[in-house]
Amino acid sequence: METTAQDETASGHTRVIRRENKLAQEKENLLTDDFLRQLINVGEVDILVGLPTYNNAKTIGLVVQSVQSGILRWFPRERAVIINADGGSRDGTPELVTGVSIDDVRPAASLHALRTLHSVSTKYASTPESGTALHSIFAAAELLRAKACVVLSPDSENIQPEWLSRLVQPVYKDGYDLVAPTYLRHRFDGLLVTNLLYPMTRALYGLRIREPYPSEFGFSGNLGSQFLAQNHWEDGANQPGGELRFTLAAIRQQCRIRQAFLGSKEHIERRAAEMVPALRQTVGPLFSSLESDFALWSTVTGSQPVPTTGPETPELLEPVRVNRKRLREMFSTGVAELSSVFQTILTPSTLAELQRIAGQSDVTFEYPAELWVKTVYEFAASYQKAVISRDHIIQALAPLFRGRACTFIAENRNGSANDVENNVEGLCLEFERLKPYLIQMWKSGQ
Amino acid sequence: MPLTQDVLWYKDAIIYQVHVRTFQDSNGDGIGDFQGLEQKLGYLQELGITAIWLMPFFPSPLRDDGYDISDYCAVHSSYGTLDDFRKLLESAHNRGIRVIIEMVLNHTSDQHPWFQESRSSRDNPRRDWYVWSDTDERYKGTRIIFLDTEKSNWAWDPISKAYYWHRFFSHQPDLNYDNPAVREKMWELMRFWLDMGVDGFRLDAVPYLVEREGTNCENLPETHAIIKELRRKLDEQYPGRMLLAEANQWPADLRPYFGDGDEFNMAFHFPLMPRMFMGVKLEDRKPITEILQQTPEIPATCQWSLFLRNHDELTLEMVTDMERDYMYDMYAEDKTMRINLGIRRRLAPLLQNDRRRIELMNGLLMSLPGTPIVYYGDEIGMGDNINLGDRNGVRTPMQWSGGWNAGFSTAEPDRLYAPLIQNPVYGYPAVNVLSQLGSEHSLLHWMQRIIMVRRSSPVFGRGSIEFLHPVNHRILAYVRKLANDVILAVSNLSGAAQAVELDLRRYKGNILIEMFGKNIFPRVTEQPYLLTLGPYQFFWFKLRKV
Repeated sequence: METTAQDETASGHTRVIRRENKLAQEKENLLTDDFLRQLINVGEVDILVGLPTYNNAKTIGLVVQSVQSGILRWFPRERAVIINADGGSRDGTPELVTGVSIDDVRPAASLHALRTLHSVSTKYASTPESGTALHSIFAAAELLRAKACVVLSPDSENIQPEWLSRLVQPVYKDGYDLVAPTYLRHRFDGLLVTNLLYPMTRALYGLRIREPYPSEFGFSGNLGSQFLAQNHWEDGANQPGGELRFTLAAIRQQCRIRQAFLGSKEHIERRAAEMVPALRQTVGPLFSSLESDFALWSTVTGSQPVPTTGPETPELLEPVRVNRKRLREMFSTGVAELSSVFQTILTPSTLAELQRIAGQSDVTFEYPAELWVKTVYEFAASYQKAVISRDHIIQALAPLFRGRACTFIAENRNGSANDVENNVEGLCLEFERLKPYLIQMWKSGQ
Repeated sequence: MPLTQDVLWYKDAIIYQVHVRTFQDSNGDGIGDFQGLEQKLGYLQELGITAIWLMPFFPSPLRDDGYDISDYCAVHSSYGTLDDFRKLLESAHNRGIRVIIEMVLNHTSDQHPWFQESRSSRDNPRRDWYVWSDTDERYKGTRIIFLDTEKSNWAWDPISKAYYWHRFFSHQPDLNYDNPAVREKMWELMRFWLDMGVDGFRLDAVPYLVEREGTNCENLPETHAIIKELRRKLDEQYPGRMLLAEANQWPADLRPYFGDGDEFNMAFHFPLMPRMFMGVKLEDRKPITEILQQTPEIPATCQWSLFLRNHDELTLEMVTDMERDYMYDMYAEDKTMRINLGIRRRLAPLLQNDRRRIELMNGLLMSLPGTPIVYYGDEIGMGDNINLGDRNGVRTPMQWSGGWNAGFSTAEPDRLYAPLIQNPVYGYPAVNVLSQLGSEHSLLHWMQRIIMVRRSSPVFGRGSIEFLHPVNHRILAYVRKLANDVILAVSNLSGAAQAVELDLRRYKGNILIEMFGKNIFPRVTEQPYLLTLGPYQFFWFKLRKV
């Protein structure tokens, strides 16, 4: 049966209505009656601390104690609230969070508190993903008219009360919209950040934000509200990776951005088995943002530093042990097994070069910066064209990233902190230099 | 209107604090006097107060606003004569108003004849009436109260070549209560006034009567023993009279001043007052409920005395350092407003002349457990003058009208004991009794109404208190209860409208009757009782089972 234009319009209209209904349903799920009642009791706040959690009982105690200490020490006069968006923990995490409330029945254990500190927990109905948790936190921040907000990772084992001050003060006192963290990292910690996320966002958007996918960050209530209002949730911000979308939104809106050094960060690196989900949460949102932001990033040349509290290039801690041999093997196996997939994503010359290095021995193996950058850019362009399922594209990047990680580790194994930083800087400049290559491919795809 | 015969009259009282000098000048010399005050008793009766507390009116060099007494058995000539005082007392009693006067036990003026004799020679019989020492090293553990002016609690006397002890200004030597003659003499002086008919004494600076080495010289057992002795004599010889303690201490330290109901009848609750201001500024009930939860039970015959402002600074001695910093920043950003450890401002300027907050604070004053004291002029929202020295800025002439000298005196303006408040907001043309009497919705009329409502139930003065703990921390809610009478007070400490759910299940079946408008509110059920309150709004409800 043939469809008419009228039918298509009607069908489109129905889709819009369905989508709107779905969004309304999601919003309702986020703001349950009980959550809303708790927010009414909290009232307007100056500072909101968001804690997205899911079975974090082992670490959340330290986190909430640090938050409480941080509030009492640096913001004793401010109206503050802790909002816990929990994905359905079964280990008592929400109870541990709400246990740090301070009121006239439960005084603070050690420090004297001028005022009440509410700690509110809500469970959201969908799967435990950070995007939904962020959505709940942003919604609460808007309803409570929070002036400065901070989201903290629930699994930090070394969080300090100072983190709260460093992430909130620039927003609350100095009018910044986003405060991204920088960390004192283990040498091979955060390889995805140093080898892809940081250099690529820097090259494309022109700002040197070291942690564009932060697990801790401060932001203004205004920025949170704008992000909420822009329907980012419709195109996947409820999925993991909302943090990266939020960073990019702040850049896009030319917000005042600052970085704050937080010190060492434990347990950032993900295990190899978690590589694909990690790429989905980070590279996926980054690639998908490029589509809507083309007009912006295609005109940016070079990059600008972001004002930073504390050292901009922190010294590195001793390396964590990484099995290079295993990484290289996974790379070579991936290149061999996925060659048909790569043929649809990569240019022949890049694929040929990858196949060449896949045959190198452990000793001679090298995945050079230029080849890596071309690889990433070609993946981004293919993602835009959706040459195959976009999720498959992201998955296919995993073995290649392992190869790049292997080279990065080899290059920096014996280097000083400055050497490592110089290598990262070199890679960033390579991303910036080859940006026209991405633009050219992008335009050909359009 | 006759005085009530109830010996616990002070539990139901509404006390008005006034300095004779400040209220009304009857003879045109620029200084308020007893006759002037007597003329204004009708005003006070209309206001609804049931007692006046007169600040010191004794002969004095007036270097500490009369708290430096040079003769305990006379009145300062500026205020009239003893006969004038007797007439005032009689007129007040005829109107059902009791009179409480000051008694400064701890120290005298250095101009008092006793001190002059005491310092005259080491052999003088009155030498031992004061605390003398050849060294200023004794009682080292004692704090200095007037930090802004005094460097030590000892002062060198060049006449007798020795140091004398003083807890306040150096011109106020402390009496030696280890001397039985002093104790006997002070009781004799109190009897002088009791015989005349005064209803009670506010005993000034009571924690400091006795000194002992190795202590902080405050709240000592020997001091309590002296007070017990005074109280025993008072009850035996003058039943129905009352002792009110001025002891700026933490509740736990204050509690012993009630003894087993055998020391003071009443004591000021100093730590509560700054926390009421703090609670409203923070928009959080925590400071108020915390201090009241720390306040120990007192004997059934005793009573706390509550106040918002008085003749002194808003004292911040009984707060933590963090709280003090907060209070200074919020209420006295201009450092000239600060004195000693406090803020020398009146109620209305402290609250930025916000009528809603002034009402809320008075609502708390009148409904929390205790006897409220209203400082003269605060019932019309008088302002202050921080350019006057010491605490004189809150002791300016009462503003009766917008006319000559605010209706306070017929003297030439430059002969007034203190300049009138002149500024456009608080000056007497804008803030005065006459204009407020003519306006149905004035603060003065509102104060009359709230005092009337407060007096309509003994629950406020005598009932127990039980705090409710709604999750909304901006709401302060408590139940006052006396036998079967139950009153629910709910206050919104915030400048924004609030919704609150109260757990009133134990009063299930009661209806709520709002005490000002007498309107009926919905019946209490098993469900949380939902109330909405406007900015700084408060409700008092009578609970009634129908």
